Amino acid sequence: MNIIVGVSDMRVSNDPDSVLITYSLGSCIGISIYDPVVKVGGLLHFMLPDSRLDEGKARKNPLMFADTGVPALFRSAYELGAAKQRMRVIVVGGAQILDQKGFFNIGKRNNMAVRKLFWKNKVMIDYEAVGGNVNRTIKLQISNGEAWLKTSGQQFEKI
Amino acid sequence: MIDIASIIKEIDKLKPIPQVTQKVMAVANDAKSSAADLADIIQYDPALTANILKVCNSAFFGLAQRIDSIHQAVAYLGMDQVVGMAMLNLGSETLKQAQKGYDLREGELWKYSVLSAFMAREIASNKNQKDKHLIFTAALLKDIGKAVLSEYVGNYFDDIEKAIADRDITFRDAEKLIIGIDHAAVGAMVAEKWNFSGRMVDIIRNHHLGAGWPEDDIELATVYVADTLCMIMGIGVGSDGLAYRFHPRVVQKLHLNDTDLQMLMASFGEKLHELDDLLTRV
Repeated sequence: MNIIVGVSDMRVSNDPDSVLITYSLGSCIGISIYDPVVKVGGLLHFMLPDSRLDEGKARKNPLMFADTGVPALFRSAYELGAAKQRMRVIVVGGAQILDQKGFFNIGKRNNMAVRKLFWKNKVMIDYEAVGGNVNRTIKLQISNGEAWLKTSGQQFEKI
Repeated sequence: MIDIASIIKEIDKLKPIPQVTQKVMAVANDAKSSAADLADIIQYDPALTANILKVCNSAFFGLAQRIDSIHQAVAYLGMDQVVGMAMLNLGSETLKQAQKGYDLREGELWKYSVLSAFMAREIASNKNQKDKHLIFTAALLKDIGKAVLSEYVGNYFDDIEKAIADRDITFRDAEKLIIGIDHAAVGAMVAEKWNFSGRMVDIIRNHHLGAGWPEDDIELATVYVADTLCMIMGIGVGSDGLAYRFHPRVVQKLHLNDTDLQMLMASFGEKLHELDDLLTRV
């Protein structure tokens, strides 16, 4: 069954019948994690890099921001028995509009925020498709950890 | 390249604008008319009245009290918002459909159109702009050309994609190059057919700010910024991706800084569930 992960949302599951999917990432970033031993997977779709923008909003919806959303994703997976060193980590999204070099490049800043967090916490990225001006959709099959990526106007491809 | 006559034929297939909507527009454009005039026109159309009341009572507006009449709606939400709701009714039928050529599923173009309309209105409201209803309606209908052009874009997608990659041009420029016309120009033709004002037609035609866009047009700038923020959020983004140009000068013209833009994304990002609720009512 497809479980849709909306904007500023996440799903973590160990149900082998589940497929987690998040559509249309734009400058937002989707992070997929999967532990093949316990067959636990999770998918986060966050929108903005830094929760200091508005602490009230971050408390109400921590999944909106990289710095509050990413730890929440990993914690939820740990609760179902997943372990960091076994996880396959995928990062997709963070696209930008043409000529968006300096001012308001949220896609790039989202990506930098993820890299900083992962570097601090010693998380390795196994696959990434970030930047460019394309739109991306990702799905993760919980039964076997297979992940599929769809880029603007193309079909799903296994990654 | 295709024959433009076939596009015109497609536009002619769209339903004409209902009489009541034309009257609503006339009242909205007339500085002398009052909220009561607007309510009087709407309340004689039971279907439109029912739809507007459903939208008023959606979680999106979060009103403490239930709205039971158009007069009450105008009093609580203001004339601009009620005009906007009548326009939602106008666009919904066409914009709700899947646009396969743009790789947009059913409801995606609709959600994006409504979100960018409310976002543009919010910017206009924050900046005390006068013509909020023009901005709302233009933002709502600006991509209606995609509904007409979808099939052609689907047929020529590989060529369009190649043109973007080879020539470093926007998706809209590539549409024009390969098909012979772009979705913004087609949208302007639809707006003309529906007898919208020249201002509305111009904003729809220029909403991606192509060459020679009028830099002092604050309403156009507002519609453009809302569109850009939706794209960044990934709302309504299909096969065209984010292949449009960013113009930081426009943002500066509206005196919006980085924090303002992020706050707009965060505020509307928070309301996406409520927006889904509203979309089921139109």
